[in-house]
Amino acid sequence: MGLGLNFTLDPKTKIIILAILSFMVFNDVSLYISGILVLIPFICLFFSNHKKSAIIYIIAYIAAKYVQIYILPTATGLLAIILITFSYTASRMLPIIMMGYYTITTTKVSEFIASMEKSNIPKDIIIPVSVVFRYIPSVFEEIKLITNAMKMRGFGLNIKSLKNPLKLIEFYMIPILISAVKTADELSAASLTRGLSNPEKRTHLLEVKFTRMDYVLLALTIIGFGIYAFNFLRGVAIA
Amino acid sequence: MRDVSFSYDKDKNLDNINVDIREGEVILLCGESGCGKTTITRFLNGLIPNFFDGKRQGNVYLNDELISEMPIYEISKNVGSVFQNPKTQFFNVDTTSEVVFGCENLSMPIDDIQNRLDNVVDDFQISHLLDKSIFKLSGGEKQKIACASVSAVHPDILILDEPSSNLDSRSSWDFENIIRKWKSQGKTVVIAEHKLFFLSDVVDRVLFLNNGRITDEWSIEEFRQINHREFGLRQLNLENLTCKRKEYYSDSPEFMELKNFRFHYGKRQVLDIDDVKIPKNEVIAIIGKNGAGKSTFANCLCGLKRSCKGQLIWDNDALKRNDRLKKTYMVMQDVNHQLFTESVLDEVLLSMDDENFELAEEILTNLNLIHLKDAHPMALSGGEKQRVAIASAIASEKEILIFDEPTSGLDLKNMMKVSENLIYLQKLGITSFIITHDYELIMEACSHVLHMDDGRIVDSYKINEEKLKKFFLNSN
Repeated sequence: MGLGLNFTLDPKTKIIILAILSFMVFNDVSLYISGILVLIPFICLFFSNHKKSAIIYIIAYIAAKYVQIYILPTATGLLAIILITFSYTASRMLPIIMMGYYTITTTKVSEFIASMEKSNIPKDIIIPVSVVFRYIPSVFEEIKLITNAMKMRGFGLNIKSLKNPLKLIEFYMIPILISAVKTADELSAASLTRGLSNPEKRTHLLEVKFTRMDYVLLALTIIGFGIYAFNFLRGVAIA
Repeated sequence: MRDVSFSYDKDKNLDNINVDIREGEVILLCGESGCGKTTITRFLNGLIPNFFDGKRQGNVYLNDELISEMPIYEISKNVGSVFQNPKTQFFNVDTTSEVVFGCENLSMPIDDIQNRLDNVVDDFQISHLLDKSIFKLSGGEKQKIACASVSAVHPDILILDEPSSNLDSRSSWDFENIIRKWKSQGKTVVIAEHKLFFLSDVVDRVLFLNNGRITDEWSIEEFRQINHREFGLRQLNLENLTCKRKEYYSDSPEFMELKNFRFHYGKRQVLDIDDVKIPKNEVIAIIGKNGAGKSTFANCLCGLKRSCKGQLIWDNDALKRNDRLKKTYMVMQDVNHQLFTESVLDEVLLSMDDENFELAEEILTNLNLIHLKDAHPMALSGGEKQRVAIASAIASEKEILIFDEPTSGLDLKNMMKVSENLIYLQKLGITSFIITHDYELIMEACSHVLHMDDGRIVDSYKINEEKLKKFFLNSN
């Protein structure tokens, strides 16, 4: 769709990139490497019908970095604390969150299973993981409903609810857990009646293949990781 | 089935069931909630003993083969199942993968799957539903996809467990067509269902269950003659119903007024109400097709949608969003989302600004919940949970209550209880709105009707059998 520039990635690529990104952002990585890495979620989102989120993401990230580099050194007091919290959380968490968002919204459950089966990962692992995959979007729907229910009981963003934040978390968790158990149960029953437990290898209508884009993005991530690892090891050696 | 008895734990759930189901028959299993309908379906599709297990006796045969000895994926080649809750029977998030899911599991060759997909899409006329997220579909569309995906495996037997609970009357009639199609292909269909009206012309034989036993068996002709209410069943023919309420509850009802209720999803306008007057302190049914904007309307009325700038004129006050949030309460379709505490009593106290034990207990007594006041809300039955939600609404002194499909999937007894609750609320001076597809419930309790279509209120009238019949019975 769109300009014909859109691409889809193999679920494996998405997961590997997600893993490497998560690892890197929690370590201090020099700007030129992280600069390239934060572009990956941007590219993925931009070329997959999520242009709006992609642009918001990149602007938010640049703003956070800008604050970190240019404003923080001069800020003091409470303002500095607030800025530090916001800019660091944003610059570290945003890339993973966006990559995670991309992975979940663009991966079909069937693609995921197909890709995993191709890599000969046992069914006992694939099926539970794919159920989790399937369940994540429903959790968002439920959070929305529970929020509505709380608003009607007078628990919005107001004093009554802020007085007891732990209770608030409990109010969210109980309905979600209950429905998770129920959903898991009904989902397993439904998929059993449709032959999911068949020990033979499944067939796949959707072919999942590595494309050029997979290789390019994977290479980019791995090179970034490589440089980082190299620098890290050298640093240790010098010390 | 030969001498089948079953119990999940202590109580006997099925007791000495003997049934022969012939090839090509369409069988209806009916009876009150908990009578064992679902348990029978689970025997037939192999979920007992493969998924649920308990004390089993007797044998179930499929073409002379013992079902309990077959692995469940073997059974799934011959037996397809459609369940009640469309949300939890989809393994995939996109429709196309879901339709071919069964075929893929059974390792059919890809060309074959492609063929079956094309055929089934033709059969069910669902080409416009392919490649969509299941979260974007209406209840009726979801059930169609569920049926199509079961059909794609070409099973000889179809087991349907309350498939119409979430469907409007139009989609229910569509569902009848699907069953008819299966019947014409010579397939055997077993349906467990409370809602009966759409099945009258397609079923061959009816089995009535009571406490785990088959106590009656009718041909469809005999079944049309019996008094369904005596057996605790919903109506087979909606023509027979008359409304209990001919007039408004109050002698001269006061009116509230809704002004400028509009709402957009992106560019699409889903709610567009200019100005409408609605009687206060009545029981108001909101009817309309799936996707007509009923739920959006309810959300806006409750003040849950920030961008809806409408006003509710109530006793000369113009209530904005935040005021409405204080005045209204919605009893959701899935009540589990709105029960938060550890006991029923706490749930009621939570809704009060100042905790008043006596008042709380009084409310619970009136709703027949007092014996459960220390129970955990999540451990209650569906009807009890609904009453707890109502209790908490009364405790927070709400004046408008909105029910989102309060009777979907309920048998006659429980539907009647809901209608009693509505009448009780009316006596307390509360105005209730009921979003519903349940003609029988409207006939029991409602006194005013809002008919919605395409985001607009196309009609607003005092209860009127003619008009209602036109909407509910002419949909095929």
